[in-house]
Amino acid sequence: MAQSRRDFIKKAAALSAASYLGMSLPIDPRNIARANEGVIWHRGSCRLCGVGCRVELGVKDGTPMGIRGVAESRTNFGYICMKGMHFWKCMRHPDRLTKPLYRKKKTDKFQEISWDKALDIAATEFATAHKEGGGRAVAYYGSGQALTEETYFFQKIMRAGLQSNNVEGNPRLCMASAVGGYLTSFGADEPIGSYSDLEKAHCFFIVGSNTAEAHPVLFRRIMRRKLDNPDTVKVINVDPRISQTSRIADIHLQFKPGTDLALLNAMAHVIVEEKLYDEKFLKNYATFRKGKNVATSFADFKAHLAQYTPEAAAKKCGGSFTADDLRTVARWFATSKGTMSLWSMGLNQRKQGVWANNLMHNLHILTGQLLKDGADSLSLTGQPNACGGVREGGGLCHILPGHRLVVKEKLRNEVEAAWGVPAGRIPPKPGLHTMAMFSAINEAKIKAIWINCTSPVQSLPNCNLYNKGMDREDVFIVTTDIFPTLTTQKSNLVLPTSFHFEKTGVFGCTERRSQITKKAIDSPGDAMPEVWIIREWARKLAEKMNDPVITQCIVPFDGLEEDYELPMAIWNEYTQKLTAKRDNDLRGATYEVLEQMADGVQWPAPTAEYALTGGTVKKFVKGRDPMADTESKNDLPYQFYGPAHADRTLWIWHRDQADPDEIPDAEYPFYLSTGRIIDHWHTMSMTGRIPELLRANPYAYVEVNPKDAERLGIKPGDMVEVKSRRGVNQLPAKVYEGPIEGMVFVYWHDQHKDRMINKVTKDAIDPGSKEPEFKICAVQIKRLSGPQPLRPYIV
Amino acid sequence: MPISGVIITSTPEHLDEVLSELQQFPQVEVHGADEKANIVAVLDTTSSEEMETIIDRINKDEKVLNVGVTYLNTEDEAEQMAQGEKLPKPFGFRKPQ
Repeated sequence: MAQSRRDFIKKAAALSAASYLGMSLPIDPRNIARANEGVIWHRGSCRLCGVGCRVELGVKDGTPMGIRGVAESRTNFGYICMKGMHFWKCMRHPDRLTKPLYRKKKTDKFQEISWDKALDIAATEFATAHKEGGGRAVAYYGSGQALTEETYFFQKIMRAGLQSNNVEGNPRLCMASAVGGYLTSFGADEPIGSYSDLEKAHCFFIVGSNTAEAHPVLFRRIMRRKLDNPDTVKVINVDPRISQTSRIADIHLQFKPGTDLALLNAMAHVIVEEKLYDEKFLKNYATFRKGKNVATSFADFKAHLAQYTPEAAAKKCGGSFTADDLRTVARWFATSKGTMSLWSMGLNQRKQGVWANNLMHNLHILTGQLLKDGADSLSLTGQPNACGGVREGGGLCHILPGHRLVVKEKLRNEVEAAWGVPAGRIPPKPGLHTMAMFSAINEAKIKAIWINCTSPVQSLPNCNLYNKGMDREDVFIVTTDIFPTLTTQKSNLVLPTSFHFEKTGVFGCTERRSQITKKAIDSPGDAMPEVWIIREWARKLAEKMNDPVITQCIVPFDGLEEDYELPMAIWNEYTQKLTAKRDNDLRGATYEVLEQMADGVQWPAPTAEYALTGGTVKKFVKGRDPMADTESKNDLPYQFYGPAHADRTLWIWHRDQADPDEIPDAEYPFYLSTGRIIDHWHTMSMTGRIPELLRANPYAYVEVNPKDAERLGIKPGDMVEVKSRRGVNQLPAKVYEGPIEGMVFVYWHDQHKDRMINKVTKDAIDPGSKEPEFKICAVQIKRLSGPQPLRPYIV
Repeated sequence: MPISGVIITSTPEHLDEVLSELQQFPQVEVHGADEKANIVAVLDTTSSEEMETIIDRINKDEKVLNVGVTYLNTEDEAEQMAQGEKLPKPFGFRKPQ
């Protein structure tokens, strides 16, 4: 009987799934060839979280029509999650921005204008602002979703062209504390190990992370490891909220928000008291610190931990687990053949975020659960290119490309020399961090800001306060995006950009892995890649400011076509000139090499020959990391050559429990915490436009513990007011044994004015990382009515 | 009319029950299962919405730990969209009136 095309596709689908399990099916593989007739599969990365899953976008007659995982990729081994399965569907959505839009006043209606006029306006406004207030009056606010080439190029024009270090991005809101933790504990940013440790770990310590929903493909790997070794692999989940992640846990320690520093110190207490530490590892590689320049000793550290008995910690954490539970967890952690910790915003988005990260690393250094297979202290990144573009490419106000600090003159001079601009061109002081930047906008000290690929109107904490500044008519806002957002609504100029797979560039994911995505389809309308927009804007800026140094910034890229040659030239400048001999050495990861690799390259990768092996799986280990050999100073197998610790040791920190900025009181008696849900991404501008994802969760709700709900008379679906000292939301209730008693939880994606939870959150920041404490504030909870019909809302 | 290839992982002790429950979905074709309770299946639905609903229902089964998608083909819908027959216009994506 003749087979239809659908039959071929179904058989190809079955073979695809079976191939990941090594299962043989009685289906002729030639069905795949028949299913692929007329389809071109383009390899790239998913862009909806920080895992870095490799996918192939199927394109038929120029239209995207399907997606499949890349089986040989070591990030996802072919698996994709619900968001990954659907993200490409918004490519051809009718809401895509396709023409430059301009309005002189923010109360005017937008008018379509030409690119030439749009870039002329952007250049005029930035030149005028610069004339009035110099580099301090202009700013760039970018994204962990922008390609590395884009972030790097934007910051180059800002720093060397406009002499402004006001370069920031939304990773300040999610990863800055992890950066601070890695630098102060290990002397170098980004994890030592890799995802490949997941299959070798014997104990998982998951804290402040709903991995199952925020990083589902990695969760699948953890789950597989546990299911394959149910008796020998332990999973510990530590979180104020029971989530999907808890389903595979051997034990869940539920603690009162903001008490986890006591919990982590108590684990260290047990490890020290029961002599579960690795004495040889400590002797060879670790030192103890109270402050950057205040060295202490193991004895001091032990004395410091004396107060953190398991009994005291269990009480401080709210009494929902026992002191013996804590002892068990500490023993599992210390004595397993390989312990891997994983965390995300639960530790980072805190006023003591850096300290929380330090305490996590303390446990690994104490026990030597580092550098060997199956052991690592791994911060899970939220966005696809927060690591690659922003942390490595110079996308924050205090760092230059290649993990260089702005404040170091020698490092500034290296960058200036690489760019061929005069020494001293880059200002010596860091610019304004994110919250200071938007405070400066409130005061109109910044007159012109470029917001790229992000929506701070919705994503800043206590957003009502900062939205007032963005409404000011004396602050010019240009945004580059693919869809209308709440932020484009406050802009003067909106520039339509190419989406993923409509342009070429590199993402660097959680595990130091850089992967290329090449252009597969044309952009709709007049949308253009950001790299072209930056170059042409800078060209006009140079003319208007009559500044040859700005011209010098774009000379290497003149005349190059924007789909491939231009991003490649930018990548080459960045990697060859600015990562050379830095700890993120990417010289071997050329486009030519990246295009050959199924799953990119992990740095350091100084040569192409080495990069073609996949790069460095374990940093700092001689024989496995080429820089550990070239930078070696002694006979020890581990060499901590990171830029931040001149003494080349790992630092164990004295960090005390410290309360969050706001704790519940009689007036505001509940904790509020916020987070992510599996179907949606950030401000929903993409996932809210994909019917399958929107329908799964059309609007935010508030999770209330059943005991609290009973006390307050709240039934499932009732409308509830969530009010803080800063703002108020009205949301339907989900009565659920997720959050610990006394705490409520809200997803932060909803754009609707009544359900936008960042009106309620607090903008207190970590003094070191400047990251806001999204995870904890105090609120009132009140039942308003029974269930009400609600409608989803997308700008 | 989308088609997907998926791996459904159940708790090992409930594999037979999950296989039996999957038979109740006419849209689900089971091609095999291994000793680790991984089930290879193909989902053939009339719309993306139906695909979503079925995956969601399977995912919410307490005996199911994970539904991993490895392949999705929606060329029929893509063609319709390209021809302007069916726009991906989710309900309520404009401001409520």
